[in-house]
Amino acid sequence: MDTPTLLTHLETHAVPLTLPRGGTLRWDDADLHKAAYTADPEGYALLGLAPGVRPWQRARVLLQVLAASQAGLDDATRTTLARLARVLTLALPPAHVITVLLGLRRLRANHKHTTRAALRFVLEHPDADALIAERRPALRDCFEHALGKATARGCARRIADGDTGSDYLQRRLLRFLTAPHHALRRVPALYAADPQANPQQQAAAPREPVLAVERTPPHPGTVTATNRGDIAATLVHLYRGGPAEELYVALDRYLADAVAGYPRFPGAVGLVLDASASMRGYGERQWALMSQAAALRMVLSRVCDRLEVVEVGGDERVPRGATDLATGVLDALAVGPDLVAVVSDGYENVFPGDLARVAATLPHAGVTTPVLFCHAMFTRTDDLTLRRPAPALPQRGFWHQDDFDELLPWMFGHCTAGEPWLRAALHARLDALDRQAAQIGGIAA
Amino acid sequence: MTISDTPGAAPATLDTLMPGPLSLAGHRLGTPQRAGALTMVPISGPAYPGIAPPRRALKLVRVDGYGRVELRNGAADGVAIVPLHMGYIQDAAQNHALCRSAFIAAGQTLMFEDAACVQASQTGYLTGRDQWFFILPVELRTRALQRRGVHDFSKLWPDIAALNRGYGLPGRGHLEQILSRKRPVLTQFQSRLELQPGQLGALFFIDGRLAGLELAPDPGYFADVWAALVCFAYGVAAWHAEQRHAQTQPPSGAPAGAAAGARPFPATSLSELRAALDRDRAARIAQIAQWLADVPTGPVEFTEEERYLGLRLSTVTGDHLSGQVVTDGDRAVYASLFAPWPVDTPR
Repeated sequence: MDTPTLLTHLETHAVPLTLPRGGTLRWDDADLHKAAYTADPEGYALLGLAPGVRPWQRARVLLQVLAASQAGLDDATRTTLARLARVLTLALPPAHVITVLLGLRRLRANHKHTTRAALRFVLEHPDADALIAERRPALRDCFEHALGKATARGCARRIADGDTGSDYLQRRLLRFLTAPHHALRRVPALYAADPQANPQQQAAAPREPVLAVERTPPHPGTVTATNRGDIAATLVHLYRGGPAEELYVALDRYLADAVAGYPRFPGAVGLVLDASASMRGYGERQWALMSQAAALRMVLSRVCDRLEVVEVGGDERVPRGATDLATGVLDALAVGPDLVAVVSDGYENVFPGDLARVAATLPHAGVTTPVLFCHAMFTRTDDLTLRRPAPALPQRGFWHQDDFDELLPWMFGHCTAGEPWLRAALHARLDALDRQAAQIGGIAA
Repeated sequence: MTISDTPGAAPATLDTLMPGPLSLAGHRLGTPQRAGALTMVPISGPAYPGIAPPRRALKLVRVDGYGRVELRNGAADGVAIVPLHMGYIQDAAQNHALCRSAFIAAGQTLMFEDAACVQASQTGYLTGRDQWFFILPVELRTRALQRRGVHDFSKLWPDIAALNRGYGLPGRGHLEQILSRKRPVLTQFQSRLELQPGQLGALFFIDGRLAGLELAPDPGYFADVWAALVCFAYGVAAWHAEQRHAQTQPPSGAPAGAAAGARPFPATSLSELRAALDRDRAARIAQIAQWLADVPTGPVEFTEEERYLGLRLSTVTGDHLSGQVVTDGDRAVYASLFAPWPVDTPR
């Protein structure tokens, strides 16, 4: 499966994994995940960290990574998969992880990396004590599946008898852990008496992940033209005629900050930039859309090897006139880009429907270049009913500078030239999350 | 690609639309824009200098009892041409609309004794806060023009009630039911259709039928009245037409033709696609030119109403088109002409 299709699936298919009592694991898209993993284990696994992927899809990625054998994989790939598993066990709601681990039991999947991930979750999760108190039978099943029932119970018996580091315990259990002292306390807890006997002492099960994969979306009380990120805010003041020298210096700094975390895109992007009158807006919203679209253009110009901008209507500084997106797309395709991105508020009026028809014709005209629609919005809750000029095009909205973190991987993930970018960006994301996970582990220890 | 230079388009010109001997020499029709049922053909041409821009110059001073509205031209220079059928909405005050245009010299104040109340509430002095103006929906304009000079503040209530009923709203004489409550959807017309640089007028078609011709002295004046025209004068009827269409077509959540199953152009290469797009657009522009050519014509009557130096304000009355125009000799300086547009007439 190609990356854009898989990414779209991961972002949209939110059906939970379920474990019917006595039945088999319900994993409706297992074939898709298995095929993607088989084709490119590391690339597939990293996609699980892409911004916007649904939690239950991240759970499936964790399940697939832990269920599959790693025979034949090189050390670097195994390391990446191990780090990803560690990150996901902390970045998913604990209940999701427990479902995954119980699913592995139903699948009878057991490998060294499976054992390691399961034991670390059950015994080293920062909320392990509360989880054991609340989900004791399930976690005991996970523990016994990871080690094998006889070995698990043997370890539990030895610990109960005061064993803190015998060769048996070391080889069977402690070598899989990073903080073995937790096991000596928590394994007995797994085999403690039925917690129902004293429900008042039960801790509430933690429901939230301890590691945040997604950046918390900004929620200003009132959205204005200038609280949508530093770049757009600075541009709004420039458009309004603010002190140019000071603002340009700040703009350069904000841009440098914004692109610091992005790899270089080694291809060409054709950007159809709607600079019509409606992008300028009016009243309190004046410049809000145009400034954010211009911010995106500026970020792309620093990230892409080649950015070809086709302005529609007026220009970025003086938005005016009507919106002819169809001709804009044809002009953008003429420069031979790897990807065409249409950035617009969606009000197409010369003539409405032409963009949709052009998009529908492209495959017949032998054009395989992906064309995407990036919706410029005032807030995340904009009513787009009358603003979808080409519903069949892949589309994603943005209103705040923080949205670029999701928008760019989504855009570059649609073209072949973007695959190295996506992999590099997701590796960087994994590095950052793994560092956080290590800190969490350190605090918990 | 504009109507004026589209090969094969019907030989429609603005002169054929303007009634009587009025001249629009030098004016041109631009590229049409469409938003749902509403099609707008921009008009560009030579500006007529010296007219105060209405939004910046005209201020509502007070509503002095029912049916009495006082306006002031606050500009330092330049006569103001009060846009025909202009009305004001303001929180906690009575909403009125004017049934006629007028000249107001710079610095002058003018009391309109024949204004129409479009919402029953308390009268009183108004502040400038939360005040916005509209232009009467095209469905009310013929009647409003007929009743200019009539001192009866409730003279539009039966028509407003009929309009509300026609749009499925309670049959009361409150225009606010449409203008304020539907404002979020109506104001989208200001973005769905976009003002062109240098534009000083427009033709408005609803479902292929001419609804109005609007001409301003200069682009600044037209920009001032653009939102009131596109959102309220013609947007209301266009919105209602879209509602009707939505009841007879499956909802797509997209503009016409933009549904997920959009019909591809017959093309096997990019150059063929571009050519097919151009041909298709030329055909659609020719169709709009044909709408223009099909606009009914007939005799109209001119009645001079006011003078200001060389400017004349006249009322135009005809079976197919009514409104008011401001002329300087035979040159049209300002025009607001509209077709009769009864509510719920099958079209």
